[in-house]
Amino acid sequence: MLVVLSAALMVVDARFSGLKQFRAAMGLVLMEFYWVTDMPVRAWNTVSAQFTSHSELLAENEKLKAEALLMQRRLQRLAALTEQNVRLRELLNSAALVDDEVLVSELIGVDPNPFSHRIIIDKGGRDGVFLGQPVLDARGLMGQVVEVMPYSSRVLLLTDNTHSIPVQINRNGLRVIATGTGNPESLELRHVADTADVKEGDLLVSSGLGQRFPAGYPVATVKEVIHDSGQPFAIVRAVPTAALNRSRYLLLVFTDGRTAEQRAADAAQAQEEEDRKAAGETSVPPAQVPESPADAVEEAR
Amino acid sequence: MPVPTSRDGWVIWLSMLLGLLLSVMPLPDFMQVGRPLWLAMLLAFWNLNLPHRVGMLSAWCLGLAADVLYGDLLGQNALVLTLSLFMVQSLQRRLRMFPLWQQSLVLLVVFGLAQLVQLWLNALTGNRPPTLLFLLPALTSALLWPWLYVALQWLRRRFAVY
Repeated sequence: MLVVLSAALMVVDARFSGLKQFRAAMGLVLMEFYWVTDMPVRAWNTVSAQFTSHSELLAENEKLKAEALLMQRRLQRLAALTEQNVRLRELLNSAALVDDEVLVSELIGVDPNPFSHRIIIDKGGRDGVFLGQPVLDARGLMGQVVEVMPYSSRVLLLTDNTHSIPVQINRNGLRVIATGTGNPESLELRHVADTADVKEGDLLVSSGLGQRFPAGYPVATVKEVIHDSGQPFAIVRAVPTAALNRSRYLLLVFTDGRTAEQRAADAAQAQEEEDRKAAGETSVPPAQVPESPADAVEEAR
Repeated sequence: MPVPTSRDGWVIWLSMLLGLLLSVMPLPDFMQVGRPLWLAMLLAFWNLNLPHRVGMLSAWCLGLAADVLYGDLLGQNALVLTLSLFMVQSLQRRLRMFPLWQQSLVLLVVFGLAQLVQLWLNALTGNRPPTLLFLLPALTSALLWPWLYVALQWLRRRFAVY
């Protein structure tokens, strides 16, 4: 009887969404378990923070200040580059890249099943997390949300062997698909032609073609390319740039939900209005004329 | 048989909750593969000693909790735990007579079969582990069984759970 009942439950859970509510309600209580098992780690962090010596803190402070300085310098360059990018895009009449909004969340648990790479984070439906939401860490893409509970959610990592992500080689724009292997340090590029221009050390960025992940975030770097004449395709392995099994703080990305086409259409409309306004005004101040790209490059240096 | 008192039931349920905790406890990577089947072991112990208190229904409920906790299909762990407890229950008379090492040998087979069912269900949902390592938890559970048995027996005597 119970066997039949569980079989029925499994089918219902796999095919329909009627049990989601029940699951979420149970998850609300049960997810506290992950929080409890995480307690020793947090307690250790607190204790070690308490007992860090004054000199160590000073040294760390110095280091962070230096780092902040470096970052600011890079940010200045980035500001110039962004400006230039916007200007060039205006010239090309294409959509501007809008910065995505993010929400910081903390890891509270790891899936106990060693053969699936899933983690549990401390933000859920109440914080606006949605199914399929992309998750990043400081270094790159990590995965996507696969289950949302009120105060927590489950994230499937890139390296799970049921996960694939469309990517692009940053150097030449070649589009490929990166599939998880079940090894947290390795992704595999599927169906790459033997003659394709892939080199060791190439950076793979998300291409945004699956319309799930935002475009342009780093995903992995190519580790090895093996040309085996017995195989129809080249074997390409890559290492994820995100610290998939080490990061504790993750970023949930909120894209505005428009597709690339819609964004382009909106931008075109905005541009048209601008043009009309510009045509209406008789005199355009000379300072607003875009500088030449060469100047902008100089500025960036 | 005396009417079961509900006053000391909390010991059983506390041990089950502890089992749930242990089953999601973070472990180092090399131990992750051999994580003991805490829930199945606890259920087997209570079922061998107090068959009128812990039966298939408790196994099923605990399995549902485990499903939500692991994010598996609802009913998957419930099915596996119910089946493994069914096997324990049908061997109960014999198991109770056995010395501990013999018990753990039988339980090795029982847990191994349960892991096979688990593998089959995982394969249905497209998440098949690539190696024979999925049988390792059965082995570690069987090795841990005598110690767990002694500890729980002490707990049972201490709190007089009958």
